[in-house]
This record gives sequence, structure tokens and C-alpha cells, in this order.
Amino acid sequence: MATVELDGVVKRYGDVEVIHGADLHIGDGEFLVLVGPSGCGKSTILRMVAGLETITEGELRIAGQRVNDVHPRDRDVAMVFQSYALYPHMTVRANMAFALKVRGMPKPEIRERVDRAARLMELEPLLDRLPKQLSGGQRQRVAMGRAIVRDPQVFLFDEPLSNLDAALRGRMRVELKKLHQRLGTTMIYVTHDQVEAMTLADRIAVVHEGLLQQVGTPDELYNSPVNMFVAGFIGAPQMNLLAGDSDGSGYARGPGFQVPVGRAGVPEGPIVLGVRPHDLTVVAPDQAAIRAKVDVVEPLGWESHLHCRVEDTVVLAQVPAEETAGLQPGAAVGLDVDGRVHLFDRESETAI
Amino acid sequence: MTQGLDRSGAWQRTAAGLLLMALLLPGAPARAVEELVLWHVYHGREKEGIESAIKAFNEDHPELRILPQDQPFNGFSSKLRSAIPRGNGPDLFIYNHDQIGGWADAGLLAPQEVPGDIIAPALEGVRYKDQYWGQPLACKTAALFYNPELLPRPPGNDGELWETAHRETRNDRYGLVYEATSIYHNAGWFLGAGGSFFDAQGNITVDTPAMAAALDFAHRSVMVDRVCPEEATAVVVAQLFNDGKAAMVINGPWFLSEIDADTPFAVAPLPQPARPMLTVESVFVSAYAEDLERAKRAATLLAGTEYEEMRIAEARQVVARERDYPDEVLEAFAAGARTSVPTPNLPQMALIWEPGNAAFRRVVRGASTPEEGAEWMQRRAEILNRPLPPASDPRPTLIVIGLLGLIAMLWTTVRARREQLVKRIWASRPAYAYLAPAAVGMLLLLVLPFVTGSALSFFAHRAGEFRFVGLQNFASILFAQDYPITDPLSFYFTLGVTTMWTLCNVVLHVSIGMAIAMLLRDPWMKLRGFYRVLLIVPWAIPNYITALIWKGMFNKQFGAINGLLELLGLEPVGWFSQFWTAFAANLCTNTWLGFPFMMVVTLGALQAIPRDLEEAAEVDGASRFQRFRHVVLPLLRPALLPAVILGTIWTFNQFNIVYLVSAGEPDGGTEILISEAYRWAFSREAQYGYAAAYAVLIFAVLLLYTRITDRISARAKGV
Repeated sequence: MATVELDGVVKRYGDVEVIHGADLHIGDGEFLVLVGPSGCGKSTILRMVAGLETITEGELRIAGQRVNDVHPRDRDVAMVFQSYALYPHMTVRANMAFALKVRGMPKPEIRERVDRAARLMELEPLLDRLPKQLSGGQRQRVAMGRAIVRDPQVFLFDEPLSNLDAALRGRMRVELKKLHQRLGTTMIYVTHDQVEAMTLADRIAVVHEGLLQQVGTPDELYNSPVNMFVAGFIGAPQMNLLAGDSDGSGYARGPGFQVPVGRAGVPEGPIVLGVRPHDLTVVAPDQAAIRAKVDVVEPLGWESHLHCRVEDTVVLAQVPAEETAGLQPGAAVGLDVDGRVHLFDRESETAI
Repeated sequence: MTQGLDRSGAWQRTAAGLLLMALLLPGAPARAVEELVLWHVYHGREKEGIESAIKAFNEDHPELRILPQDQPFNGFSSKLRSAIPRGNGPDLFIYNHDQIGGWADAGLLAPQEVPGDIIAPALEGVRYKDQYWGQPLACKTAALFYNPELLPRPPGNDGELWETAHRETRNDRYGLVYEATSIYHNAGWFLGAGGSFFDAQGNITVDTPAMAAALDFAHRSVMVDRVCPEEATAVVVAQLFNDGKAAMVINGPWFLSEIDADTPFAVAPLPQPARPMLTVESVFVSAYAEDLERAKRAATLLAGTEYEEMRIAEARQVVARERDYPDEVLEAFAAGARTSVPTPNLPQMALIWEPGNAAFRRVVRGASTPEEGAEWMQRRAEILNRPLPPASDPRPTLIVIGLLGLIAMLWTTVRARREQLVKRIWASRPAYAYLAPAAVGMLLLLVLPFVTGSALSFFAHRAGEFRFVGLQNFASILFAQDYPITDPLSFYFTLGVTTMWTLCNVVLHVSIGMAIAMLLRDPWMKLRGFYRVLLIVPWAIPNYITALIWKGMFNKQFGAINGLLELLGLEPVGWFSQFWTAFAANLCTNTWLGFPFMMVVTLGALQAIPRDLEEAAEVDGASRFQRFRHVVLPLLRPALLPAVILGTIWTFNQFNIVYLVSAGEPDGGTEILISEAYRWAFSREAQYGYAAAYAVLIFAVLLLYTRITDRISARAKGV
């Protein structure tokens, strides 16, 4: 177990800089999730930690030791790949034993450790099979088993669940979380799925265009996004964003809305108003803070997703099913904010 | 023997022949019944000369009108043997005299009356079994070519020859340059010392002091007195003479065409006591000629004095009569012809050349003394000339084949019944129709030759006679009946060499190909595409060209490789004089040719291996070698296995390299099965049956090999 620290880490391919100085300190035993849209550089950061990519500038320390120039095999990290990267010509047992074998561990010990990891991952009946004889979920478990067997200081996961179907993904997510609770090892996990990030992480680092946007607990990110990107990226369905102006007297106004910001000291100027869909309630149009027109109603049973339009901006409200009863497409509807209002500077897109 | 005519122009003749055929065939007017067809293998100047002589002849003798047709030199004799008895042959043909014995025995020739003014050696040349079989037309002998700027006059005898050769050998110049390992070029000293290839009964008599003297002459000139460069090939000889680096050259008249226009030269007869070997080009009359008398008259007249002048002036031939010549070159050749000894025309002469040349190579490189060399030549020639096995009764074999055929038919019928094969075949008629063209092609191109070849292995062939001998060819080969099992002639020796050859090659091809593929895969490697193309080049060049280039590079005296060794201060190596170096030379050449294929296959297979796997292994802690050994290699195996099997079979039968680079040197040691089979068929007097038995055994070995590898790959696929 160990800490992982990135200080001003930069990655350049030729003239193209893809990571612009990442600072990230991951505590011992922490589960950190790197999340961001594809191509944002999160995998590159992970691969630099693994040693599969060189570090152009800055410093990477694992357990306090600078490891910039340390070979992957000497970093004592284990990685689970998106494709699982199981050796197709080896049985499950051989796959799991490989890392130990190449390190010259005595056979009885290898056996014992593989058996232990197999028990943990419930792989015992599969040990003599080849990867092609396994289902996707089983392969996933073997890939994790292969990482566990080594008992490394740090686990690295590169989108490990993205090749699974939705149901299995949910189950594996829980297993992963249990695994972390059980092993208590430092884990770095890359995903583009913010649900995975929210559910698994102790802390989340949001990456966008090679920059770390915000690092914090799921709560912090959800409740206090530092900028519009984080606000839009974290939380599902996405936060509604409405462009308008702050009038300096506690209201955010724009075409079709006039919302009290709920706090003092917001200066006058162009802003973007952010409201999470479940913070909206349906009210009578004439009294409402936001006046909208209904586009579509998606009933989900216990609640409905009300898609509507405020002038030209699409707004989604997650409301109790009964509030949308009788709403027809095209009908005028009023929305009130019953919760937190997020404000962002329209220029810099940072939170006010 | 072929030396009587230019050997280098075979393909030109072939091309000319084809062209002529193309011109003649389509619109050929029905030729007058009385025309006499004459085949010849001349080309260039001699072709023009003979054809203008024929033109004049036709004007003078319209009743004997001759239609000349030139033929490819290669395979001329076998073409005659198959064409004449079927009535497709010519009425007349011109060729060397040394095949007379075989042709006469096969009944292809009509005996002729020969005029009395023919010089004695030529007369003896066309005599066989107390009859004359051809009209001597031209005499070809080896002579001494010299550079008159270096020597004012040619040496008149042996002593002067050595003296001059010594005097003229200095710096990078050689006194006497010739193909010292060729029996033909050394024959003058054998014959001059009173040697004869056969006794009156036709027994081989080369283990004599005379042959030892000739062998000693060759050994001295190259290895003791060093007046002749080592490994002097025809090309080297011509080049040295043209560069003014050879004072004297021993060669036949065809050398005239290899001398550059601006190179000064003169010709003298071989110095006393040497007597050159004579090739008599003669006009032969086919025994199957429609009108024998007319054909004989035409032959006599064409070879007669009437057209001599023309042949001398235009074809620059030395004729078979005493007479004056317009220049000194022809005079010198004529003088040589006078003292010459004709090449024996017995059929068994064909078996002397290969052991003869091999013995000269042995002695020249110092592996044997001249006396031992002569003995070795005698022994080897006798092995090759061993009597044909007795004819077997073909009935038992036919009965066995018949029974096997019957069983096969029964079995097929039963199977067909049980599986309703007829119905199924009928149901999928269109599919079979689509398959038919390919099936017919396979039948004609693969099955038929295979069956013919296999059938041939039950026969023995010598001098046109096929004799059914049952399994005796196989017995002789498999029980090493005619030579010790450790002799390079032995099947097991050659099988051993072939196996080692194949193994070494495939290991090198795969490892080098794989190593380069791994290097080329790395994306950081600049100019990858360029290297890839460059590395495929050896594969793209026709392999015989590569083989000849490497052969030249391995030349002891002038080769690039020894040049490099000398530059490094190392001793030059006689690559083809020891087994291992000759084997290594072959191996180098074939590795050069073979690795690109494995590289291409590996590159392709590498594309299919996800990079993830190696990264996973890297994170798992595997070193570069461990990643290759445990991850990449096992994944390459399924793609490489078929390539390795294919490569093995190719290499097992890699005729070109062995034939062209080492040519089996030393003493046939580096011969592989396929090249050995070739030698039995084509340079040991057409022992086709024996060669076919070799081919069948090669097939059996490869069949066994593929069965084994099938098993292995099936198991690999199971994984």
C-alpha cells in the first residue's frame, strides 16, 4: 500500500502537449477515480503511473519514491486493462500465476497465492479454462484476480467495466467496491462514466483537455462543482444550464426565467445559472420562476422526466410522477427551484 | 560432350529456335516432299556460315534440297532420341561425334561411307563398331591462347610452358589461366602421356600414370607453382585475359567469341607432348530418313570440299581435311586437330565427366595426391557405370498393382453405396462443374507427372533402353548396394546432409526473420516502411541470380568475402574445398533468400497480437525476453507453423542454391537429395529410373514430415 503523488506532470508527444501539468496526491488506501470524456488524457495519466508511458516533465512518486525512470515491473503496481489483456494461450491459473512466475517465486507459494485470489474472486471452478472459454464477466474477474494475486502497492484500472453489459457492470461495480474495502489498497481507476466515478470513488479527479478540473469527494463535486464542465459532467441527468444575467440584487434573470440566487453578494453581470433536474418542481406557469413549454414527458413510474424548453434552451426536470399528470406537449409549464442554485461566470465558466 | 560447341549460348539458341518455330509454324507453306530436313544447334557466326553453305548447296543440288532448322542445344540428344523413332525427326543433323555410340546402339543412325582424305583423328572419331556413322564437318580442340604483347612466341613444349608461365606470373598477373578443375581442359596432358579413357573392351582405364600426370599438372599450376588462379571459372578466365592479366589461356575455339575486340591475342597448339581432345562436328543421317540414299549423298556433299571454303571463311571452322587456312588462328587450331585424340564415342563416356571433374577438384585443392585422384576417379566412374540391374518379371508387380486397384475400387464402391455418394454428387452437379477445370489442371499438372515419375522408378534406363527392374532401384538406394553408406553418393549420407541443411536453414530463417520483424514493429523506428521494402528485396530477386552472385562472392581468389577477410588481416578461405565451409556458403545464400518470407509472415502475425498483452506482461514484471518468450512467441506460433512447414519443404527441395553455389562441392558432400536426383538423371548418363526412385523417396520423406507436422499443428490448434 502506498501513496501516489503527481507533481506538475506533463506529457508531450513531439510538439503536442496532452497533459498540462497534473498535480494529484493520492492517499494511502484511497480509491481515486479519474473521470472525463474520451480523449481527455485520463488514460495517459494512468499509463504514466503504470510506467507504460514516459513522463516528459514533473515528478511521479509512489510511496514517496521518485519513480519517473523506474521500469514498470519495479513499480509494484498492477493494472487491469479495458480489454482485460488476458494471455489467450494460458489457462486462468497460468494467467494469474504469470506475474509471480516471471519474478521467480517458488511454485508452492505461487499455487497458494493463486488459490487464495481465486477464492476471493470466486474463480476456483474456472482455473483450468482458457480465456476464450469464459464469459465477459468471468474474464473481468480473472483480470482482477491476476492483479490481486500480486498483492501490489497500487491497483490501476483502465475502464475495466466498459466492455460489460449494463447489468453486469452494476454488479461488478459493487464487487469492486467490496474488494477495495476488503484489501484497502490504493486504487486508481479510469472511467468516462460518471456514475462509476460517483459510486466507487473516495475522491474523483475530473480531467478535461489534459487538465485536472477538480479533485474532490463525490459530494464536493456534485454539490460544489468548480466550473461549468464539472457541473455538466458530474451528475445524471446533467445539470440544466441557462444563460442570463445577475441583477446584483439576488436574482438571476434571463429570457423566460427569473430565479432568486438564494445568497447575497452576487455582483451584477453575465452569468450562467445551473440547476440540477431534481431541484426543479412543477408549479403554475404564471407564478413560476422559470416559464417553459413542454417537449416530452418520460414517465418512469416513481417520477417523470419532464423535457421542456425555456425559450431556446432545453431544460430537464425530474419531478414526482403526479406533477406531470395531464401535461401535453406544447403546454406552458412553470418550474420553481427547490434546492441549490449554481452560478457560473459566463466568461471564465468558473463557479461564482 | 558439349565442349565442341559454345556452351554459353544455349539460351540464345533456344530463343532463336523458338522464334524460328514461331515464324515457320503458322504460315509454313507445305514443304516440297523432296526437301531434306537438317537439324543443327549452331548459332551466331557458325549458324550463318552453315546456312549460307546450305543455300549454295541447294542452288548446286536442287534435287537434294536441304531445309536447315536450328534447335536448342540443351536436350538436343534426348529430343533426337524421342523424335527420330516416331518419324518426327530430321533426315540429317549436325552435332558432336561423342554421342555416336549411344545413337548407333539405339538404331538412330545410318552408317555412311567416309571419304579417304579425312584426317585420322576425325576419322577415328566417327568410327564405332567398325563402321563410320557421320561425315566429319569441323574439328574443335582446345588450344593455347596467348597475349602476344607479353609473349613474343608461344612455348613449344611442356618445359617452355612452365618456364613461360613462371616468368609471366607476377603481381596480379598469371602466367597460365584455365579451368584447372575441368577434365576437358586438362585432357591434353592425359592423352599426351598416352592415356586412354577406355581399353579395347570398353572398360574404364583412367587409373593410370597418364591421368596422374594430368592431375599433377593441374595441381602444380594452381597450388604449387601458382601460375593459375584458384577457382578459375570460364568467366574469370575470360576477364583476366581481356584485362591483360593472363599471359596464356587453355581453352576451346569458343573462347574466340569471349575475347574483346581490342584485346591482342594469338593462338598456338597445346605445347608438346600434350594432345588435345578432339570433338568432330559431323553430319549424321537418320536411320529413319525417308530416302536414305539421297540423305547420305546430301551429307557427303555438304561435308565435302565444295563448301569447305565457305565454312572456313564464314563460320571460321577448322575442317576435317588437310588444307591451308587464311589466318594463323585457324592454322593453329588445325595443327592441334592433327595431333589430337577424338573424344571416345562410347556410351559410357558420358559417365566420365562428372567423376573426372570431381577428381580434378580433389587433387587441385590437395585433398588427394594425383595417384589417389586417378584411383578415385576410376572407382567413382565404375560405380556410376555399374551394370544395369537384371530385368525383372513385371507380372508380380502388375498383379500387385492390379489387386490394389481392385481393392481400391471395391472399397470406393462400398463407401459410395453406404454414403449414397452418387446421389449426393448428382445433387451438387454445379459444384462439381465449377471444380472441374481446377481438377483437370491438377490431374494434368500434378497427378499425371507424379504417376509417371513413380512408374519410372520401377525401370532402369541407360542409353535409350528402359528395362523393368521392379524394386531394384529402391533396393540399391536403400541398402546402399553400390557404394559405402558413408560415401557422398549414398542416400543416407545425402539424407543426413539434407536434414541438417533444412534444419539449419529453417532455424536461421525463422530466428532472423522474427528478430527483424520485432525490430520493424517498433513504432519509434524511423523509415520503417523503407526498411520493410528493402528487406523484402532478397525475396523478390529470382533466386538463381542471388545464388550466382553469392557464388561469385565466395570465390577464393576474387570473391568479396575473402577480400573482406583479407582486409581484416585474415587468411582467405577456400569456401568450397571443405565440407563445412561449403555448407556454410550454401547456408548463407539460402538464409539471405529465406528470412524475408519469415519476416513478412511474422510482421503479419504480430499485427494480430494486441499491444495490451505485452503491456500487461510488462506491468506483470516480465522482462523483454520473458515477454517475447511467454507472450509473443506462443501467439505467433499458429501463424508461423504453416510458414515453417512450407519453408521446410521449400528448403528440403532447394535445388537452385545447392546446384549453383556449392554445386555439391567438395566431392558431392553438400549435395542434397533433390540435386543428387538431378545428377543421376542428367549428368550420369540419364539414369532416369534411379533418379525417379530418388524422387519417390523424397516424396515419401516429405509426406512423412507433413503427417507429423499435421499432428503437431492439430494439437496446437486445440490449445
